[in-house]
Amino acid sequence: MWSDTFLIVFISICTALLGEGLTWLLVYRTEKYQKLKVEIEKSSKKLEKRKEAHGDSVDKQQKKKIERVEEKLKINNRDLSMVKMKSMFAIGFAFTALLSMFNSIFDGRVVARLPFTPIPWVQGLSHRNLPGDNYTECSFIFLYILCTMSIRQNIQKLLGFAPSRMANKQSGGLFGPQPQQFK
Amino acid sequence: MSKSVDKKTPCQNSILDTLKKATTRNSDWPDKDEFLDVIYWARQILGLIAGLLWGLLPLKGLFGLGLFLVLNAVSLYAYFTNFQQIDEEEFGGAWELTKEGFVTSLAGFLVMWIIVYSGMHFD
Repeated sequence: MWSDTFLIVFISICTALLGEGLTWLLVYRTEKYQKLKVEIEKSSKKLEKRKEAHGDSVDKQQKKKIERVEEKLKINNRDLSMVKMKSMFAIGFAFTALLSMFNSIFDGRVVARLPFTPIPWVQGLSHRNLPGDNYTECSFIFLYILCTMSIRQNIQKLLGFAPSRMANKQSGGLFGPQPQQFK
Repeated sequence: MSKSVDKKTPCQNSILDTLKKATTRNSDWPDKDEFLDVIYWARQILGLIAGLLWGLLPLKGLFGLGLFLVLNAVSLYAYFTNFQQIDEEEFGGAWELTKEGFVTSLAGFLVMWIIVYSGMHFD
């Protein structure tokens, strides 16, 4: 089982690097992306500072200024998503093809044993295309997804491609607070 | 002595400085991102070490998973409140610090746990 699991880790490192490489080629190195990134960083910092200084004030002028920066940030974030979109599509297609190839290679093969029994709605993934009902047997796709979750994020962080925390916070990430609206 | 310091690249210097600060009690963290990075990477390393240990022992089931979640949250909480004694509110509360890199570290832990457990106890 060592060989299968190591192969899967290796595959996910390669696909993560490939994904980042493609994104760099199509997005990160473009002038538009770099300009937008700097702009978003700047306005996020400005917004945070302003909110800290005047967060509770009722000064209308300050409120207006904050709203203006927020609006600008929103527009910049939207533009950034648009820039990223085209590479997302390219990568999406490439990865779907790759994944279906790996899926057929590992079809019906138990690549690992899980030290726990997954909850029922994960079993569809962890036991995909495997015969029998021993749910501690692990399919390729489950291990691959876990590897990618951990490796891709860390590679992005190491290479400095991860979106900045401040911009994430201001634009409201998955678990982050939504930008506060002033009454 | 100073020459050897001069030779280092700025990047090397900053990583070493950060490591030194991270292992020194009550360090000053003017750059919030730097401290959050320390928390992030500490979580990743903790996840990998715990995964390796859990796989070798082996710990199994919900107990293994729960123990890791508790260990991850509690140890890092103890690190930033007791060892570094930072003001949580500056970082948006304890929750913000606790969720920093949590999912990624959980994924890393699971991968390590599954690989070591399968490799050591099945073939």
